[in-house]
Amino acid sequence: MKHLKRALAGLAVLALLAGCGNDKTPNPMAAAVGAVAKTGMAQLKGKKAGAAPAAQAASPQDLRAELARAGQPVLLVSSKALGQTGFLTVSDSKGGVLTWATPDGATFSQRDGVLIQTRGLGFDLMSAQVPSVAQLRQVGTPYQRVYFFLGPDDQGTRRTYDCVTSMAGNESIEVLGHTHATTHITESCTRSSGGGKLTNEFWIEGPMIRQSRQWVSGGLGHIDFARVID
Amino acid sequence: MQPSSRLFALLALGTALVSAPALAEMSGTLNLNGATGLIDMPSGDAQKDATFSFSTSLIGPITRGTLSFQFSERLSGSFRFQTWRDWDTLIPGEAEESDRSIDLRYQLLREGRIAPALTIGLQDLTGQGLYASEYVAATKTFGDKVKVTAGLGWGRLGSDGGIGAPFGDRPPVDPPGVPNSDQWFRGEAAPFGGVEYKVNDSWTLKAEYSSDAYVLEDDERGLLERDSPFNFGVEYQRNPYMRFGAYSLYGSEFALAFHIILDPKSRATGGIVGKAPAPVKARPARAVDPEAWDAGWVSQPDAGPILRKNLAKRLAADGITIENLAYTADTVQVRIRNGRIDAGSQAIGRTARALSHVMPASVEVFEIVPVVNGIGASKVTIRRSDLESLEYSADNATLLRERVTVTDAGTAPVWSLGDEDLYPKFRWSLRPVVRLSEPIEGDVGMRLSATYDIAPGWVLSGSIYKEIASNRDPSVSTSTLPHVRTDGSLYNQFGDPALEKLTLAWFGRPAENLYSRVSLGYLERMHAGVSGEVLWKPVDSQLALGVELNYTKQRDTDGGLGFDEYDYDIVTGYVSAYYDFGNGYLGQLDVGRYLAGDVGATVSVDRVFANGWRVGAFATVTDVSAEEFGEGGFDKGVRLTIPFNWAMGTDTRRGFDLNFRPATSDGGARLNVDDRLYQSIREYHTDGLDPDWGRVWR
Repeated sequence: MKHLKRALAGLAVLALLAGCGNDKTPNPMAAAVGAVAKTGMAQLKGKKAGAAPAAQAASPQDLRAELARAGQPVLLVSSKALGQTGFLTVSDSKGGVLTWATPDGATFSQRDGVLIQTRGLGFDLMSAQVPSVAQLRQVGTPYQRVYFFLGPDDQGTRRTYDCVTSMAGNESIEVLGHTHATTHITESCTRSSGGGKLTNEFWIEGPMIRQSRQWVSGGLGHIDFARVID
Repeated sequence: MQPSSRLFALLALGTALVSAPALAEMSGTLNLNGATGLIDMPSGDAQKDATFSFSTSLIGPITRGTLSFQFSERLSGSFRFQTWRDWDTLIPGEAEESDRSIDLRYQLLREGRIAPALTIGLQDLTGQGLYASEYVAATKTFGDKVKVTAGLGWGRLGSDGGIGAPFGDRPPVDPPGVPNSDQWFRGEAAPFGGVEYKVNDSWTLKAEYSSDAYVLEDDERGLLERDSPFNFGVEYQRNPYMRFGAYSLYGSEFALAFHIILDPKSRATGGIVGKAPAPVKARPARAVDPEAWDAGWVSQPDAGPILRKNLAKRLAADGITIENLAYTADTVQVRIRNGRIDAGSQAIGRTARALSHVMPASVEVFEIVPVVNGIGASKVTIRRSDLESLEYSADNATLLRERVTVTDAGTAPVWSLGDEDLYPKFRWSLRPVVRLSEPIEGDVGMRLSATYDIAPGWVLSGSIYKEIASNRDPSVSTSTLPHVRTDGSLYNQFGDPALEKLTLAWFGRPAENLYSRVSLGYLERMHAGVSGEVLWKPVDSQLALGVELNYTKQRDTDGGLGFDEYDYDIVTGYVSAYYDFGNGYLGQLDVGRYLAGDVGATVSVDRVFANGWRVGAFATVTDVSAEEFGEGGFDKGVRLTIPFNWAMGTDTRRGFDLNFRPATSDGGARLNVDDRLYQSIREYHTDGLDPDWGRVWR
């Protein structure tokens, strides 16, 4: 017990000490003592998805008007796992892929509205083989969807699913004060080996995905997306 | 109790359960010894592959601190530091006795639909025998809540309720410290067993019948009373990392256990956190904007400095600095120093992205050379068009790796632009440090370090350590060999504060696939002199070969600059072979002359993880006799590195290093010189880059 007490006292001393110097490598010792016990989600919850909290009280129309004033596309993203909702703008656009960024450096990349990558979220989706909007509309035609992650020990891992879409019906949805006539399509996927199922929901308006609920990774689950400003 | 009634009790424990056999996934739990098992007894289970645990238990006057590691799916090992207090209760003498022990366990059979899990184990296999025992244990899961274990033990685990000695009598330990194989599975064998009942994900109840008579603690030393062979307890799993246990032991004692359980394969934070990378910048199509593709920029005199400045600005965000930049109209070579990102592949990916923003369109080939201690470790060549086309492709990591080449770094092109602001470079830091010599013994203090990069490959560095608090017990060396290591206690006592190191090192690349190091000065806290090393390691080779030659004098214990106390100098040297077995298993063999003048060989095996975790064991046998060597017989121990980024998910390359030995001796001791070559460069060779290559897109 004596040893243990002394060891604990030592740790306490450490926790109080902060290093200094011009060596810019972070000084993690003091932080490490407490950080091990915390799980990733707690850390991720600290992230701000760039919301405009003051605007929450404003009416959807006022908010939309304010967002539209910037004159660029806006995506509304909300994650239950991260406990965050925010309006994102485009940081990169190439070859049909739009990358949406939060102010603190997390990104979501979508090909025609279908999520293909995330970065900076911890449990990131590294890349994905996904259906096109046209494929999603071909109800009943099976296809494969493949997700690529960094698994245990940062080794590349993949999850392959056999998917098929079904028509949930025509729905009128409201996105921040605007009403949109959409086709609601449900994508049901079954893991090719080892079992496991997941579903994605898409509300398609003409050629574009207006709103969606898409699975990201085991750690993050589903994330909701809504295209507010085109 | 008659043997028959004991057996009956054992059976009763087993048959008390009525449940249909089924396949269930319940990984083993840890016991008071920090090994997979029941309460004080082992079981047939194993931990999940790569599980690392640190267990502390209190059993009346006994404290056990154990580090365990599931080295592979079937093989696991433990290093234990055990203290008995009130040691002088019956026999006058020291009030406290301590002992270090090493265990090995191998799971012969994995649990099947009918077959139980079956494990064979050696406990305290090299010690003086205070804790030595061997066992075979079988564990079967019933349903998803119940596990039943039955086993047969020898040594301590055969000391109560013996059923005879199937393999003959158990000879005494001689000499202590070497693997006591003469004793293994000899002497009386005794059955043990028990039941685990998992109430829910948090709570587990356990009951066992122990075959350990605690002869040493009860009969010989009177530390505790063993009234009954039955133990009972309850365990609480607070989260995946913490498990607590409270037990009633042997009808007389109360025991507590606390386990920290870590999975080196998965970060505590779930994934590497940190900002998303800058997107790759696409070049305009040549047909659309032919001017952007013009190569005329190459001849502009100010192009170089501007490009370097712009690139440096982008790379600074990731803690990467440019050592050198060289370019032609279609190729750029950048030599980088990665100060922060723990994965080499990610540092390369970030550099490539930055190049896509900075370099004019005519540059198609990106050559990225990571530099370690001023020397090029490898050259990763990426075609810019591959980077552009694969950024958003499915499985882009695999596709990019197929098109990237990793070759010898070579020398920097003669026309390259060095960075006149980079050398000389002075860095310093003052940081708290924990130095552990046992799982729960060591000291904490502050270390002032400084490094001065004089020119590429030339590094002057030093450090001073001041202790703040210590719980080490002073010891006096009785070694008959030169005291090259065993006076550590004197160095701790008199050298406070101490100049730990003050060295000038020169790193070089004498030829393709060859790396060299010369270190001069106060190399470590006990020895000073000169150390030289040459390593042969092709970038894509699993095999590396090295030679090392050192001439050192032993330093004074006061941590100053003098050499008056010892008058000891020696030439040491080794021929080394390193081999990467794949899947993170590294082996190393060193043959040569050690600090005390003894000649022999060291074998070490490490398991390294892409995220920087490293757990290994080493053993050195030299021509020093077991008697001269003293306690332990020959040098061996375990070592581990826990990277901070694993705990916090942030970018940092720093970590926490630990070395534990059952006994420190002067035999088989090696110089502790910094920056040995193999470790420094391996990260950027294919065997270091490929396991976590996916992070190139992170």
